[in-house]
Amino acid sequence: METETLLLNMGPVHPSTHGVLRFKLRMDGEIIRDCQIVVGYLHRGTEKFGEMKTYLQFIPYTDRLDYIAAMPNNYAYVKAVEELAGIEVPQRAEYIRVLVMELNRVINHLVFMGSLLLDLGASTMIMYGFRERENALQLYESLCGARMTFNYIRPGGVREDLPDGFIPKLNEFIKDMEKRIVDYEELVNGNEIFLMRMKNIGVINAEEAINYGMTGPSMRGSGVDHDIRKLEPYSIYQDLDFKACMRREGDSYARYLVRVDEIRESLHILKQIVDKLPKGNTINQRYGFAPNTGAPSAVTSYFPRIFTPAEGEVYSRIEAPKGELGFFVASDGTTKPYRVKIRSPSFCNLVALPKMVLGLKIPDLIAAFGTIDIVLGDVDR
Amino acid sequence: MNSAEELKYLLPNSVVSVGVQTNKPQAVIRKEDFLKVAEKVKELGYDNLSVITGVDRVDRIEVIYNLFSYKKKQNLALKVVLDHRSPEVDSVTSIWKVADWLERETYDLVGVKFNGHPDLKRILLPEGWIGHPLRKDYDMNTEQFVTIGEDGEDIVSPDGSNLLRRK
Repeated sequence: METETLLLNMGPVHPSTHGVLRFKLRMDGEIIRDCQIVVGYLHRGTEKFGEMKTYLQFIPYTDRLDYIAAMPNNYAYVKAVEELAGIEVPQRAEYIRVLVMELNRVINHLVFMGSLLLDLGASTMIMYGFRERENALQLYESLCGARMTFNYIRPGGVREDLPDGFIPKLNEFIKDMEKRIVDYEELVNGNEIFLMRMKNIGVINAEEAINYGMTGPSMRGSGVDHDIRKLEPYSIYQDLDFKACMRREGDSYARYLVRVDEIRESLHILKQIVDKLPKGNTINQRYGFAPNTGAPSAVTSYFPRIFTPAEGEVYSRIEAPKGELGFFVASDGTTKPYRVKIRSPSFCNLVALPKMVLGLKIPDLIAAFGTIDIVLGDVDR
Repeated sequence: MNSAEELKYLLPNSVVSVGVQTNKPQAVIRKEDFLKVAEKVKELGYDNLSVITGVDRVDRIEVIYNLFSYKKKQNLALKVVLDHRSPEVDSVTSIWKVADWLERETYDLVGVKFNGHPDLKRILLPEGWIGHPLRKDYDMNTEQFVTIGEDGEDIVSPDGSNLLRRK
């Protein structure tokens, strides 16, 4: 029966939009017939700032993109600058970088699990997720003084060496998380309400997922195992043993399970790093110095404030917790980048959402949207 | 033969030159043939469009497409050079769906017009914003004020006349 459609506005301020995002929905009864996404409420002009700040000054701005997992943002930008200028990185610094990035992947997926379950009406998981996240944030705090906006990774290395007692605390965290993750799976995975909300909701097949620009765990829920850490190994990933987690179903539940598996893989990587962590410098000696005095207030390493790479363009990408995070940096041989372009995973993953939710109901939109795992700071930049 | 040279070999008339974008092969494409080249590139297996970047080079505007083939595990960058006064290029939304938002973003911030895009409007900035911020000649000193009207659409004014001021 033909009925009149209703235009329904959802957001910009809505608890399940994880920030400020607006859906314009055309509803036929309870069925979504059309979904338009309006973004940009959190636009801060980060790319313009990139042109106005020096290479070093821009690093803190990258923290504010995906603020749940800021370390990969730092690294992606620094990696682009390093490729542009041909800066080498000492092995210990590479290990520390991967350590902090994988720890951030764990944090990101914990927040994902918590907020997804909260959107679906279960408030226990977010308490658990944030409890474990707190332990990891304290590790970061001891490392660089910040809990979320780190400003830690520098071209040529990292800002400071690991503090005393970091590794034992990290070991404790890994051991704790390995036990907790089993609890979470018992709590969530078999829950009948959860399964009914997630299974066969928001299905997208592999070909479409790639064509719509989905990357990261959201794409790997659709039966492809493309992971940039495997496709184009950067840093030390070729020396580490891990697998790209993948599920075939392509629905919300598959995307959720991929992330749970990734927590395990990240913990596995962290354990290897603890075993293999080499001694040595934490920053390229050509650019700074790193006397490990042990005193917390001592300047441990720095990168020159005035830094001029040669003219050129580079696009460099990494596997961030949410997907492919890339920085395009163009240099004109001055102290400031000529152009900085951020390819953010959240922005591109959102493109596929309207396709995924056609013919579903509004609660399903929230479930599918939750499993894409976006952060609005990353979408709007 | 890298991926850009391969493209030059297949389409000698459309590819102006080949080079590198630091460590990725790059081909500069004639802007008139861009859609044709993009279709060919998709046929060659480049299924992932990573990013579209617009760069204002003052005398010209460059648009750079970074592509990746999951099958061949190869990178390819395409570049088109556009006229600064009226930068226009064919849209590739029919080939890669993700181009929809990437092109809207490039239109919004750099001011490149993509012919054939189904819904080319601003995405990050509100409709009615004056200027394209990532142009080098963008006026940074003029403030613009944004409010949301009763129908939910954005209203932009450079003098703040749309704001509710306390009398």
